[in-house]
Amino acid sequence: MKNVIAFIEHHHGTPRRSSLEAACAARAVADQLGGTAHAVVAGGGAGVAAAKLAGYPLDVIHVLDDASLDVHGVDPQVDALESVARAAGPSLVIVANTMIGRDVGSRFAARVDAGITADVTAIAVEAGRVSCTSPKLGGTTITTCAFRNTEYGVAVIRPNVFALTAGGNATTAVIAPSGKPYPVTVEADVEEAAAELGVEEASVVVSGGRGMGGPEPFGGILKELADAFGGAVGASRAAVDAGWISHAHQVGQTGKTVSPPLYIAVGISGAIQHKVGMRTSSTIIAINKDAGVPIADFADLLVVGDAFAIVPELTKLVRQAQAVHA
Amino acid sequence: MKILVTVKLVPDTNADKRIDASSKRLVRTGVETVLNPFDEYAIEAALQIRDALADGSTVTIVSMTPASGKEILRKALAMGADDAVMLSDAGLEGSDLWATAYAVAHAIRTVGFDLVVTGTQSTDAISGDLPGMLAEYLGVPALTYAREVHIDGTTLRVKRETETGYQTLRAQLPALVSVTKSANEPRYPSLKGIMGAKKKEIRTLSIADLGLTKAVGGDGARTELLALATPPARERGRTVTATDAAAGAAAIVEFLHERKLL
Repeated sequence: MKNVIAFIEHHHGTPRRSSLEAACAARAVADQLGGTAHAVVAGGGAGVAAAKLAGYPLDVIHVLDDASLDVHGVDPQVDALESVARAAGPSLVIVANTMIGRDVGSRFAARVDAGITADVTAIAVEAGRVSCTSPKLGGTTITTCAFRNTEYGVAVIRPNVFALTAGGNATTAVIAPSGKPYPVTVEADVEEAAAELGVEEASVVVSGGRGMGGPEPFGGILKELADAFGGAVGASRAAVDAGWISHAHQVGQTGKTVSPPLYIAVGISGAIQHKVGMRTSSTIIAINKDAGVPIADFADLLVVGDAFAIVPELTKLVRQAQAVHA
Repeated sequence: MKILVTVKLVPDTNADKRIDASSKRLVRTGVETVLNPFDEYAIEAALQIRDALADGSTVTIVSMTPASGKEILRKALAMGADDAVMLSDAGLEGSDLWATAYAVAHAIRTVGFDLVVTGTQSTDAISGDLPGMLAEYLGVPALTYAREVHIDGTTLRVKRETETGYQTLRAQLPALVSVTKSANEPRYPSLKGIMGAKKKEIRTLSIADLGLTKAVGGDGARTELLALATPPARERGRTVTATDAAAGAAAIVEFLHERKLL
């Protein structure tokens, strides 16, 4: 494989940050392969998204701007990616590890019989061969896998790991519609929460557990602290199973795996179920009324005290500190 | 209607798992093997669809597993599935994600189906990539991350979770759905179910039954494990006992400044 193609997921023309990370990773790998870096963006608002990609170091931005595709779910996105990849020849495709990214990346991989690597945190090139590094088993083991027997590879990259770099000078190319029938129809698209950042992408995650005692803190003090950081609210399995917050927020073995620069665990004991979903976070701070909780063994800082009093006070101090810097 | 549920056997989720550095295999000693917890939601969804249709529809469990997994598949049968098919062959050893998807898709096609139901991911690999790959190899629509599944004749409707809410998606059968944890509450096998499961059929397919045109197992894998490393374990950090809210918050802010996170 020689060229590298980043799949761009966007919300009405705004590319997701994790897709921008994919674009920048594509540049870095393409340079090592001596190939070109491409981006694929399709659906309603694709043109607007492409304009926003102009500030990133790509060679070609392939665009299919057609709002009528949006009622067909991810199928047109897979078609657009496939069309660009087949034209580019043997290449590495980079998608972000998000719900849409996984769907598009996995389906593309099957279409071209590509090797696929999940939850990638580093991509290397040695003697023209691409290998991907992924933490496995909750970060206890790091594997490095190289592609073989395959013209195409797919790397599903973990958000918040690959750095954004500046650039420009990309040319724009138009993707021809596939003309294939689309088997899926979107009958309704309902936004229940105001475009919240998902826990997988947030650079700060504030999670609550059993110690929260009920649903209120998740929309209250935890949300306010997360908002102060521009982050997202997470939860332990206990909190989700109790019905205090939806499963989309669950961090852990039966939820999502996150590794933000800062993870704040409030009223979470840190049992293995939760630990494997967050232990690769750069910094972990825990607030708990009990000093003997398992999270004490791997948090960088454990504050023993009343979370219901400490969290609002912390929110206030964080906002004050940010006001000083602003 | 023929409903197939794909199931993976995984190490117990409550165990701390590790990979042996010399064999590059998961250490299974002392770790119980269980049904992938995410797949229990798929089984439950399939059983609910079957029972709502009440038209002679059946639920078949399909799993790629060594022969030793047979008894664990009985749990799925004890929940109420009608029968099970094991894809079991020494030639599958060393299969990567691609080879697994390719082989399992062919097993599904060999068994025959109207609807395939999967979980969203496994607790050991956590890739979440298998459902999409299966749908492509089967040539059917993929309706992933469903929290509700409805069948009306040959029309399938799901509520797909999104990061901000949900979408209602429609497609025609045959199709594949992956269901999330929000979809249902998996039932516990009843005593009657456990007894009945002992009599249910678990048949075995081998690679030769699948009509594959591409190699699977270690030879066919599209990725190759180059290296395994164990990162240093996280050290126990600092513990501060907060006498009041201000002290607790101040300790955190000081720490954030130290780490340049504020």
